[in-house]
Amino acid sequence: MTIVSGKAEPRRRLQSARSDVLRKMWGHRADYAYVLPAIAVMLIVIAYPIYYTIELSFFNTPPGLQLRDKIFVGFSNYTAILTSGVFWQVTFNTLIWTVASTFVSFVLGFAAALALHRDFVGRGVLRAILIIPWVISAVAASYIWKWIYHSDFGIIGAVLVELGWASRPPNFIDSVSTVLPSLIVVNIWREFPFAMIMMTAGLQTVPEQLLRAAKVDGANAWQRFWHVTFPHLRNVSTVTILLLAVANFNSFIIPWIMTGGGPSNASHIWITHIYELAFGRQRWGVASAYSVLLFIILMTLGYFYVRALSGNERKDGSA
Amino acid sequence: MSTVSETISRGRSARRVRIDGWRWGGRAFLVFMLLYTALPMIWMLLTSIKSGFAAMQFPPQWWPDQPTLASYQKLLDPQNSVGQDFLRFFWNSLIVSTATTILSVIVAVPAAYAFSRFTFPGRNFLFFAVLLRNMFPAVIFLVPLFILMRAIGLVNTHGSLVLTYLTFGLPLAIWLLKGFYDNIPVQLEQAARIDGATRFQAFVLIVMPLSTPGVIATAIYSFIGAWNEYIYAYTFLSKNEQLTLPVGIQRFFSENTTDFPGLMAASFMMSVPVVVLFLLLQRYFVRALTEGAVKH
Repeated sequence: MTIVSGKAEPRRRLQSARSDVLRKMWGHRADYAYVLPAIAVMLIVIAYPIYYTIELSFFNTPPGLQLRDKIFVGFSNYTAILTSGVFWQVTFNTLIWTVASTFVSFVLGFAAALALHRDFVGRGVLRAILIIPWVISAVAASYIWKWIYHSDFGIIGAVLVELGWASRPPNFIDSVSTVLPSLIVVNIWREFPFAMIMMTAGLQTVPEQLLRAAKVDGANAWQRFWHVTFPHLRNVSTVTILLLAVANFNSFIIPWIMTGGGPSNASHIWITHIYELAFGRQRWGVASAYSVLLFIILMTLGYFYVRALSGNERKDGSA
Repeated sequence: MSTVSETISRGRSARRVRIDGWRWGGRAFLVFMLLYTALPMIWMLLTSIKSGFAAMQFPPQWWPDQPTLASYQKLLDPQNSVGQDFLRFFWNSLIVSTATTILSVIVAVPAAYAFSRFTFPGRNFLFFAVLLRNMFPAVIFLVPLFILMRAIGLVNTHGSLVLTYLTFGLPLAIWLLKGFYDNIPVQLEQAARIDGATRFQAFVLIVMPLSTPGVIATAIYSFIGAWNEYIYAYTFLSKNEQLTLPVGIQRFFSENTTDFPGLMAASFMMSVPVVVLFLLLQRYFVRALTEGAVKH
């Protein structure tokens, strides 16, 4: 068979494969009914907006968002972004914000999960308290911390003065140099519990026998962690870090409510900047072009996310 | 017997000397995390029971001299305008969050079940497509969704929020539930099928009751997500009487920014429902994340 057909064979195979898929899909038609509602909602509220954002990014649309009056401008919205100084400042802020928040949240959350792994009196209560910041609204969190950082009556400033470390309360969120780190502290406060929950869950899957075997073989606590626990948690860690990175990259509420991106753009990150361009200055075209760029970045991240997830699946399948 | 256990315990105590450093390090770390987590919340509570004047002092009153519940009374009093607004925002949040929760469970349950059980072509693609939704920030969707909502006449209605919250809650809801269904043995359903149940009956009578914890976890997640959502509500709603709590509080206190006790009281009241809900049902919630994310 292989000798006779040079080109025809793969094509025929492709055709038969395609009709196989269709037949299979028809055979499973009832199964699609279960996912249809979910897919329908997703299509309306996701596919359509993505298409629309891409279209708008090539037009200048008047401030009132009258779509009939939009003017085609080609790539000029994109060139306007890439040549503006604000773009690089905001990108730099976003990078620091995302990397620092993700890294510290993960390390703190993982360490807390490890410290809470051994049972002791009050463990459940402690764990619940540590999770609360993640549950409460980011708006409430922003106001709490705005009050804590208050330049006249904030408690941190007062403590620093009482201890004699500062002559007067420092400006945490009104000063260009300290605003971003101050907001990152708030963000970590809200994000580390998520890492803690995920890593707690992960720790419960580490086989007790392996740890005991390592102990019998004379491994110390650090060696047991590094050679048994940690490799076992690689997949959970990857997924957690990716989810954290995406969530931090997409943050909006904390910088928006606490500083609105100020002072002089020092705490603007991509999302707040896009929001201000669109709904503040009503530059819909530029904001849409920004969104498309963001979309491309996130798709790249998403590719790794899916790979990490299917890596999990493959490993489960072979085990 | 006793000698054996003695030697074991001696061996353990010998090793414990080395482990102790780690354990004390862990304890110190936990104390640090407890302070980091709890002190801001305690300061919120302490501020909320001060008078406006007492809050604006330097150095601050570490403990309120004259604790007062005035801020809470003001917020909860239907007679004055502040209380009316606050209670209306609260009610709006409750309606939007409840509607979102019910709808997401209705939509997510069949989808998650299908992703867990059936092997139809495109299953993996659709599943990842649903998960990918989680990657994208609200801002990308805001402008076009605003246009869409304007076109179908949902701007300034709670319907626009419920529809949007549904989509951003669905991916995780489906993911969490799928984890639960994956852990329910197929044999149970097969037994029911052999006894003459249809696939749908097997699902409703066998699988649904077993997955109740998963459904509860999903419901909590949707509720908390909807309760805390800010950016869509901020963009889609402009009429004061429709605002949900996060936006309502922001509008309210951007007008009189000096009332920090009031703001802290409002933040506290806004957090109470979700924290209580979470504490009551956290077992399900944490378990769901475990099943969904880790054993995926």
